[in-house]
Amino acid sequence: MNFKHTDTINMAELPAFFQDILGKQDSGAIRAPELNRRQFFKLSGVTGGGLILGGFGVTGSRKAFAQQADSDTSTLSAYVQIKTDGRINIFSKNPECGQGIKTGLPLIIAEELDCAWEDVDVLQADIDATKYGVQFAGGSLSTPMNWMAMRQAGATARAMILAAASQQLGIAVTELSTADTKVIHVASGREWAYADFAELAATMEVPAVETLTLKNESDFKLLGRRWTGVDNEAIVTGKPLFGADTVLPNMVYATYTKCPQIGGVPVSFNEDHIKSMPGVVDAFIIEQFDNPKMFGTGNGAIFAGVAVVATSTWAAIKAKRELEVNWDLSNAETVSWDDLAARAYAASDQDGEELMINQRGGGQVSAGKGDAVAALGSAAKVVKAFYEYPYVSHAQLEPETTTALFQDGKIEIWAPAQIPQGAEGGAAVLLGLTPENSILHQTRIGGGFGRKLAADYVWEAAAIARRMEGRPVKLQWTREDDMMHDYYRPGGFHSYTAGLDQAGNLVAWQDHFFSHTGNGTGPMTSADLNPSVFPMDVTPNVRLMQTLFDNAIPTGPMRAPSSNAFAFSFQSFMHELALASGKDHVEFMLNTLGEPRLTNPENPGSMHTGRAAGVIRTVAERAGWGREMPQGRALGLSFYFCHSGYVAQIADVEVSSNKNVRVHKVWAVADFGLIHNLSAAENQLEGGIIDGLSQLFYSKITFNNGVIQQQNFHQYPLLRMPQTPELDTWFMPPAEFPPTGGGEPSMPPLLAAVTNAIYSATGERIRKMPLSESGYTLV
Amino acid sequence: MATLQINGQTMDIGEIDPSTPLLWVLRDELGLLGTKYGCGIAQCGACTVHLNGAPVRSCQIPVGNLSNEQITTIEGLAADGGALTPLQQAWIEHDVPQCGYCQAGQLMSATALLRNNPNPSDAEIDAAMSGNICRCATYTRIKRAIKSAADNMNGTAFYNAAEQGGQV
Repeated sequence: MNFKHTDTINMAELPAFFQDILGKQDSGAIRAPELNRRQFFKLSGVTGGGLILGGFGVTGSRKAFAQQADSDTSTLSAYVQIKTDGRINIFSKNPECGQGIKTGLPLIIAEELDCAWEDVDVLQADIDATKYGVQFAGGSLSTPMNWMAMRQAGATARAMILAAASQQLGIAVTELSTADTKVIHVASGREWAYADFAELAATMEVPAVETLTLKNESDFKLLGRRWTGVDNEAIVTGKPLFGADTVLPNMVYATYTKCPQIGGVPVSFNEDHIKSMPGVVDAFIIEQFDNPKMFGTGNGAIFAGVAVVATSTWAAIKAKRELEVNWDLSNAETVSWDDLAARAYAASDQDGEELMINQRGGGQVSAGKGDAVAALGSAAKVVKAFYEYPYVSHAQLEPETTTALFQDGKIEIWAPAQIPQGAEGGAAVLLGLTPENSILHQTRIGGGFGRKLAADYVWEAAAIARRMEGRPVKLQWTREDDMMHDYYRPGGFHSYTAGLDQAGNLVAWQDHFFSHTGNGTGPMTSADLNPSVFPMDVTPNVRLMQTLFDNAIPTGPMRAPSSNAFAFSFQSFMHELALASGKDHVEFMLNTLGEPRLTNPENPGSMHTGRAAGVIRTVAERAGWGREMPQGRALGLSFYFCHSGYVAQIADVEVSSNKNVRVHKVWAVADFGLIHNLSAAENQLEGGIIDGLSQLFYSKITFNNGVIQQQNFHQYPLLRMPQTPELDTWFMPPAEFPPTGGGEPSMPPLLAAVTNAIYSATGERIRKMPLSESGYTLV
Repeated sequence: MATLQINGQTMDIGEIDPSTPLLWVLRDELGLLGTKYGCGIAQCGACTVHLNGAPVRSCQIPVGNLSNEQITTIEGLAADGGALTPLQQAWIEHDVPQCGYCQAGQLMSATALLRNNPNPSDAEIDAAMSGNICRCATYTRIKRAIKSAADNMNGTAFYNAAEQGGQV
């Protein structure tokens, strides 16, 4: 094994929309963006004795001066400013949605800048590709994509400070060192604050990336420890941070009402009455743009609806409740979940179409491998099972909201967006503006989970603001808007057949996957099956088939897209196979993984079986796997690899005779490579476990004739504190592996860990989510 | 002209639709943006404030029903000089927030709990906090922070950061 910190990202694993964002269609591995001298240009002509260094891309930033601070500030780069009072401003480039990136990326810069963390103020960076490259919160990619560039940004600023100190002091750079925001003359022990050299440093030549000296990881002072989030004090004191906290002079408030039957279009509404209501400023219909049933990140697509603009949020909500709309339903969805389920049940024993994948250069090829039909025919044991899981809503606690102002031919937006550059560009597309006339300001995101990768709410606000030219408009979705107009995690059905040989080895895997298509050809977003996923990646004979239902209920990515559903069925079925093989579950998993290796030797981002085995062995040790358990209580194991992260979990579950389930404890072991902020990593792992438990027991969105049947939390419960289990989390030592993100891989394993434990405790196999449908109650 | 007693001050709310929930008065009329909208039906607890010291869902209280009640919002927890309460400090020490959107409501519920019960058991914490949803699921840290704040107020040990720190 020769893993180094290559920052390699497995593009093939990314959903297509991320590949679009990144401007790459390559299915191979790409390198994460790095700063190099040619890109690390100076944007000169700035006042205050400073300069700005652009991070990426082309010259001519239209926002180059937006972040230029007061004259007491020297700007060393787009990421680092030093103030005369010694404070350091570090800019965090990506949106913060609870994953801790606003703290995490600046910590990396501060580490290489060699400054004391208490000297640092973190600021949210402008949305500007010319300075920061791609900026988004998704795919657990912020850390792996930016880790090396952030180190280089910190080291660059440090080198410029050292060069300035050398010149100012008349001491050779080689005699100078740094620590805790100070320059130190090693021989004499004299020391000076960074601020003493900041103004000169800002005029220094930018060193070439090749000349930078990065720290050895053994010398890290900040990374790997626990750090509290940089916004925490503002959060606990109620300071405005989030999308809806934007307040502008002369602002008006809007609601937007779409057809309950997805895709219906308003023809008319009780306009006179609505406009006569107290506080209502205006009310109007907005036309559909593009095809909003299909998830998009930058196309400006919105559903048609009725906007009500008022002098307060409450006045807008009251008027919304009195809307009577005449809908044209000719293009509305008519599909019902129960019908789809019945069709899947009826076809569970039939073959589907062979699943094809688009292989670069090779056209459409079978997603399978080997000869599964033959292998199943000669297998010592054949096991069949049918699994299902429902549509799920993101239910992030902050309902969609955006504030927008259209003025002088420009749209200016304040939004909690996970892909701000897509949201900004899409607003320009929608309004027919050139891209430079759309400007988005990033706010903190009150929960994303993938919902705010879509920017429909941003574009709706832009469309309303366009009509209210000159007045800022704050659009507030209600919870009902949110739950009935999500880009849902799609439900699905899997009909599995697997074969074991005489020795109990997994030799064949067949999956007939029932999913959805909105355009009659390809699957909806997050409704596709990736054949490189474990255990298919380590099984010699694989046959994959699909049946696609015509169903354009909007779907999109949700925390660990696809994995959040597949992990339940794959890892429950793996437990069924372990039992059929006569092997212990841990032993069966390790046996299936085999020798330590990359499952695709040509792709460094593919699963490494040694790391997978490592988290499984470690969680088994920590949980005391194999120990005697009381009657009605058992341990259950599950493992999943996604988003470059390896997580194994064991749940200790007790089931009473009336199907009350108590999850006493969950052990989780993760291999995310090097951990930057232990507290944030733990938060992601703990949050993922409880998120999974909540989905497993409660979450189900249904639709009847194209109308979503759940509207608010009384019909769509989320787990609360009393049901929260004790958690034990552990991270594998990083060895030589680069850091990866923890937001998504933390969640999927939980699902089958609990259902496998329930099986071991009761003998009942659960093949359907949520568990409430099988009579189980989480207590 | 109507007034409300908020965070120890008399605040003018002008002529206002009496059906307006306190939540929207705080946010839209008074610029107290720390109190959050999450569901509008008293299911999530994001809008929790104190009415005469008791935690209530401000999305359910028409402003016309209020007169001289003492209302406390998240902005009113810290002392005038900015000194944080033990709970706010514990929230920071334990790095409780993920997205942070629910945390104002969580803190208001926790503050009311400790005021009435300075040494709550696990079950009492569960009961007092069960009206507040955290979609990011920071429940284990919320509970830990409440316990350490309770300990702190009793003058005992506050926070042990050792755990796994520095190993990785």
